Amino acid sequence: MNEDGAATVDADRELAIHRRLMRFGEAESTVAPAWVARDTSVRSVERHLNGLWAMSDESRDDLVTEKGLPHARASVLNLIATVPDLDGAGRVVRTMLELGVRHPSRALVLVAEPSAPAAGIDASVSAHCHPAAVGSDQICYEEVVLTVRGEPAEHLSGVVAPLLIHDLPTLVWWPGDPPFSDPTFDQMVDLCDRLIIDSGDFSDLALGLRRLASLRRRSGIGDLSWRRLGWWLELSAQFFDAPRFRRYLPNLNRLAIRYAVPSAGAAAQSGRALLAQPLLYAGWIASRLAWKRHAAVQGLHDGAFRLRMEGRYEMVDLMIEPVPTDALAAGELISVRLKSLGETGAAEFIIDRDGDEATVASNADGMTALLRRVHMEQPTEAELLAGSLVAERHDDVYETSLRAAAIILASAVEAEVA
Amino acid sequence: MSTSAPSAPSSRRGDVPPGSKRNPLREGLRHERMPEPCTMVICGATGDLTERKLGPALYNLTLGGFLPPEFTVVGFARRDLSDDDFREHLHGGIDRYSRNRPAKPSIWESFGNAIEYHRGEFNDPDAWTELGKRLDRIDRDRGTSGNRLFYLAVPPSLYPEIVRQLGNAGLARDDEGRSGGRRGWTRVIVEKPFGSDLETARRLNRELGGVFEEEQIYRIDHYLGKETVQNLAVFRFGNGLFEPIWNRRYIDSVQITVAETVGVEGRGEFYDQTGAMRDIVQNHGLQLLSMFAMEPPVEFRATDLRDEKLKVLRGVKPMSPEEVVDQTVRGQYVSGWVEGQKVASYRDEPEVAPDSEMETYAALRLGIDSWRWAGVPFYIRTGKALPTRVTEIAVQFKRAPLALFARAGTPAIDPNTLAIRVQPDEGILLRFGAKVPGQGLQIRNVNMDFRYGSSFAVDSPDAYETLLLDCMIGDASLFTRGDEVERAWEILDPIIEAWRTGTGGALHFYGAGSWGPPAADALLERDDRSWRRP
Repeated sequence: MNEDGAATVDADRELAIHRRLMRFGEAESTVAPAWVARDTSVRSVERHLNGLWAMSDESRDDLVTEKGLPHARASVLNLIATVPDLDGAGRVVRTMLELGVRHPSRALVLVAEPSAPAAGIDASVSAHCHPAAVGSDQICYEEVVLTVRGEPAEHLSGVVAPLLIHDLPTLVWWPGDPPFSDPTFDQMVDLCDRLIIDSGDFSDLALGLRRLASLRRRSGIGDLSWRRLGWWLELSAQFFDAPRFRRYLPNLNRLAIRYAVPSAGAAAQSGRALLAQPLLYAGWIASRLAWKRHAAVQGLHDGAFRLRMEGRYEMVDLMIEPVPTDALAAGELISVRLKSLGETGAAEFIIDRDGDEATVASNADGMTALLRRVHMEQPTEAELLAGSLVAERHDDVYETSLRAAAIILASAVEAEVA
Repeated sequence: MSTSAPSAPSSRRGDVPPGSKRNPLREGLRHERMPEPCTMVICGATGDLTERKLGPALYNLTLGGFLPPEFTVVGFARRDLSDDDFREHLHGGIDRYSRNRPAKPSIWESFGNAIEYHRGEFNDPDAWTELGKRLDRIDRDRGTSGNRLFYLAVPPSLYPEIVRQLGNAGLARDDEGRSGGRRGWTRVIVEKPFGSDLETARRLNRELGGVFEEEQIYRIDHYLGKETVQNLAVFRFGNGLFEPIWNRRYIDSVQITVAETVGVEGRGEFYDQTGAMRDIVQNHGLQLLSMFAMEPPVEFRATDLRDEKLKVLRGVKPMSPEEVVDQTVRGQYVSGWVEGQKVASYRDEPEVAPDSEMETYAALRLGIDSWRWAGVPFYIRTGKALPTRVTEIAVQFKRAPLALFARAGTPAIDPNTLAIRVQPDEGILLRFGAKVPGQGLQIRNVNMDFRYGSSFAVDSPDAYETLLLDCMIGDASLFTRGDEVERAWEILDPIIEAWRTGTGGALHFYGAGSWGPPAADALLERDDRSWRRP
């Protein structure tokens, strides 16, 4: 620790960023004056966190009501986010502020810099308050941003453990590309009840899916790309809630999935990461219906591939293809088409997305095609995260879909290589 | 998935036998329960309930993706409207009253396409015959599979006629689970009041039962659709902590409060024939009591839940006229101030008799003759023009057996209280004594306060959304069964009759904006207790 040490240019810059991060929420919420310190200790951070809520601390006027009572401090979980650098922390802090309104948490943002020359911890601690409802009292929660430099950055779980609120679920959100091979990653996974990642952010999707699928931890996995598929899964399942359509399920013989890639330089940018959502969707259908891998018809090329799979009664054509567009975020699904052979002829079930809405149609049983428009508003990152926070620790359906997605991608990649 | 897969999904999960009743894609999704395709017929479709509650509830269910694509609404009423007029009527209601408003144009367009209007007189057999043909056509065109839900959004006086016509037109048949014939279920939802006394409730049950099986009848009490009421069962039976102390050994008394700040709000004629006992206690009050006090059901399903609730009501013994004088208080508000507004006396309200004896406030002390609750008083109070709008169940626990911290000159420690707030600010509060920091031994009450708003901060569905969806799914857990209704009247009829004949004690007056007449305070003071101030 170096309480009085001379500030280097880099350290000053880092402190300035810390202060800026603490100001993110001022527009939306009351923020108690942030405590910012360089080269501090975990114990000091802990002391400041505890001091935030002490009634006798008159400097905390913003944390008491007009009656002099403290605002309700609410924490329903510990949420740890690990980011590669302070610049990257900005997005995370903004998301956590947005999230705090719905899921007040003790939020800890960790910036690990293990290669920094000198060991040390910089910290900023602040409290955010929002009215729970219009005209009601404020709900407050805390946020801590820690930059951990040098050797302590290789022992992040030890830094963060004393700062957790006991007996609350602990979630680790790892935006970007998690370091699957790094012992720090294993430590953090061991520490938490649920690991939240976004497979759409993986630089090596095949490796990422494989590693996630083989994680054997007490913690469950929440994948924001999976949560983005929420409406797609729901609408697809709805087709077959009607008993008369359910008989088509075992006879599905074609699944075509189209997804968005940027229109500029589509071929170059349609990297495998953008395949996360279509793969998870295909993995979901394949695992739910017990399809088996059979043969690749067309290997992965420019983000497209085609597999033959073995369904219960039919061979199934699985096709995934990119569509260059700027109307949707890259990687989002654009359409899903399921075709089936039934006793009374072919049936088709279609979901076509168009911005925040979709057209859903079924044409089966020789009946008039049912066509309707449905809401398909894409949730914000904070909303996706919020959904992951309340989910059960282990999501069996996701985990089986993930394994199937990993196999489908491996088949497509093998064929590409061949 | 594949022979080389790290772990193939088990056939239990993925295999879909032909004709399977299970949708394998539904497992693990956000909406684990999805109704089968069905048509909902709203009888009385141009009324207030449809505009304020049913239309917005159906729209929100659609918006949330809770309804199947085939779902269809048919409004049935006397007014001469076209399909488009009726759609506009519903649209206006959604724009004004829905928790998600205004309606999103494209979602409304799809929802609106599934809405039809059927004009007719409820006593005209031809209108019902035509309705039957329309429903058959919808089954064919939209694939609603013969599943039908009739919602009687009409005054109770019209129930018998509508039910009879449904029976005559062959629209009440329920073929669910039967082989052959028309497939599909038929259910009917009726709104409270379920009769105005035991005799009329029995008659209504006979009339409904003459056409429908009890399993087809869904009596709606929207209080049971509220999150906190549903959470009451989770709180008691999902936690190991509370159930062991949920009995006469640890609980001193229970207070159930249903307080309204409003007066009769232009419903003077209705209210002057109804009163607080029929309007609130018979349904909301006794339902909260039975949900609170019931034994753990064998399974969490409608039959078991309702059996247990009925057992509670059977344990509440009807009062003799002497007991009515001793154990009940009735009151009526006179002019005063509520929420900064001057409120006129009840008797000065439009359509209220100037010498009305109708109660706008009722307080009663009930006991439940059961092994668990013998000797524990349950105090129920409800009233209009009270200082605050609140519904809660407050449990007062017995004091610690030994006053270990009592000192001369220091007040005794208050007993622990657990308050379950149903509305507003839904949540649970536990009050207990804690040492004030510092030298000496001072003890002060502190609260542990769980609020839905701060722990979940999610937009709870309206009770009608929950209940409509439950009915479409066929889950009657949150609906009242006929025998529960009759038992509630058996309990309350002697009180109402004693009040009516003047043998049940005097009518007490209370100022609007007060917590009821002093006689209600005296009711508890006699037991050395006092009402909570929620």
